[in-house]
Amino acid sequence: MAAIETSGLGKEYGGDILALEGIDLRIEEGEIFGFLGPNGAGKSTTINILLDFVRPTEGSATVLGMDAQEQSQEIRRRTGVLPEGYQVYSRLTGRQHVEFVIDSKNVDADPSALLERVGIPEAADRKAGGYSKGMKQRLTLAMALVGEPELLILDEPSTGLDPAGAREIREIVREERDRGATVFFSSHILEQVEAVCDRVGILRAGELVAVDSIDGLREAAGDGATLRVELADVTDDAIAVVEGVDGVTDVRRQDGGLVVSVGNGSKTRVLSALEDAGHEVMDFRTEETSLEEIFMNYTEGDR
Amino acid sequence: MSTLAVAKKDFQDALRSKALWGLSALFVLLSLLIAYVFAEFTTEMGIEEQTAKGLAYFLASQITLFVSITAIVIAYKAIAGERESGSIKILLSLPHTRRDVLLGKVLGRGATLSIPTLIGLLAGAALGTALMGEVAPVALGALLLMSLIFVLTYISIIVGLSALTGSTSRASMLTIGFFFVFELLWGGVLIGISWISRELPFLSNDPAWIDILAQIPPSAAYTTGLTALIPGDIGLADETTADAFYQTPWVGIVMLVLWLVVPLAIGYWRFSKADL
Repeated sequence: MAAIETSGLGKEYGGDILALEGIDLRIEEGEIFGFLGPNGAGKSTTINILLDFVRPTEGSATVLGMDAQEQSQEIRRRTGVLPEGYQVYSRLTGRQHVEFVIDSKNVDADPSALLERVGIPEAADRKAGGYSKGMKQRLTLAMALVGEPELLILDEPSTGLDPAGAREIREIVREERDRGATVFFSSHILEQVEAVCDRVGILRAGELVAVDSIDGLREAAGDGATLRVELADVTDDAIAVVEGVDGVTDVRRQDGGLVVSVGNGSKTRVLSALEDAGHEVMDFRTEETSLEEIFMNYTEGDR
Repeated sequence: MSTLAVAKKDFQDALRSKALWGLSALFVLLSLLIAYVFAEFTTEMGIEEQTAKGLAYFLASQITLFVSITAIVIAYKAIAGERESGSIKILLSLPHTRRDVLLGKVLGRGATLSIPTLIGLLAGAALGTALMGEVAPVALGALLLMSLIFVLTYISIIVGLSALTGSTSRASMLTIGFFFVFELLWGGVLIGISWISRELPFLSNDPAWIDILAQIPPSAAYTTGLTALIPGDIGLADETTADAFYQTPWVGIVMLVLWLVVPLAIGYWRFSKADL
């Protein structure tokens, strides 16, 4: 069974504003899925539909095998959520927030232990109105973790956190996956997703432009790697030699060297072909195509 | 269960409102003053008979203004405010339906407003009783009961109005507008209606329905309903000569029940379809 499945999901707000179009997504049980895209691409709209905050104008969505509109209450009973654009209750303490979730879900859990786990045990009995942005985010994460939910939906979980805080969140995300939970989280920051996700989906202007593993995306974007070769003398012959090697997709002359786009298995063949043809290789290094470039390609290209 | 969890959270939250306690202190002082004045200066005010039952009515006259204004202050943001700030996303991320949220709000904020209302009434009744040396348990019981119903009704109206919109400024306009039309200006509205009914011959020449219209404001319905519960004939309708139900004080109770249900139902209908 898929933890989340959408088919042809679309949302049009009044005045013909198309927020989401034809989203077909399938997230398997037990995976960490990163939902990536620039702000305004429709990530939160998708999540809001899964939680029945917003009603789709086309298509349908199921969560844990249940219809997102018809069985929303049961879905939310089994799901932990860190929503986007939320506000805490400023007059209630952190502990009261967590207790409210425990009451609402009718489960047993220890508020102190949860607040400890997200790193704000000392703030448990202070009013949440006085929390910093990062502390509010940690409190809301603690609320999402109540009762070991089967599914965690985290909308921009690292908002307001410093890099160390973001790493702690990723650690918790991994622990939750290892416990058996499915984690669906959105981010506009690639590193957040790259470090922890099994698969990612990239959303751009309301459309899903790619769904793949990080490695798969790398491969699709540029067959793995870029090889940079420094030659004693860059000649047209050297370029022709490299172009003749199997697996080379592109050769460019740059700063007295060559930049070669090449499949992983063919790097040594490029080097030996050059030497066999009598070109002296001074130096070489390989660079993996950065995910940032892949992300930019998907989200800013003219597709 | 879900409704109660929301109510409990809301009660804890609203109970810490400073505005609530400011208004409540004022109300308790006012009740004590009213009881004192009633017990000590009845003759000067030209009230012939000083009874404990009379005290109950006297206290009741103060309740309507306190409850209506305080209900607006503590409840106009009940839904609209949570939608505007985004805290509704925390509430609805949990397994609560939108109906649970609305009912929980009404119960939670109703309980919140009940506390100062009861304290004020009991303090006034205790002082008056001590000064007059006379107790009217039935009248006081009826006063407490009707007042609690009135509190719940007013909160329900305001929460219902709050559920119509996701903007607190619109919610404040709706609730204050409601207060102006149905509490402050209703007398003028009635005069206008009866004038029109005289000018338009096709309307009934016996405008008995004006009697009903006069009972529309929740405060009027509350005061009228109180006379249905307190034995005796203080009140605007005399049951022996009443020839129709709408001329008996029970119409006040019916009106209150309508106010309890209808605005909330309309608010729910809008809220349940809204994108948050």
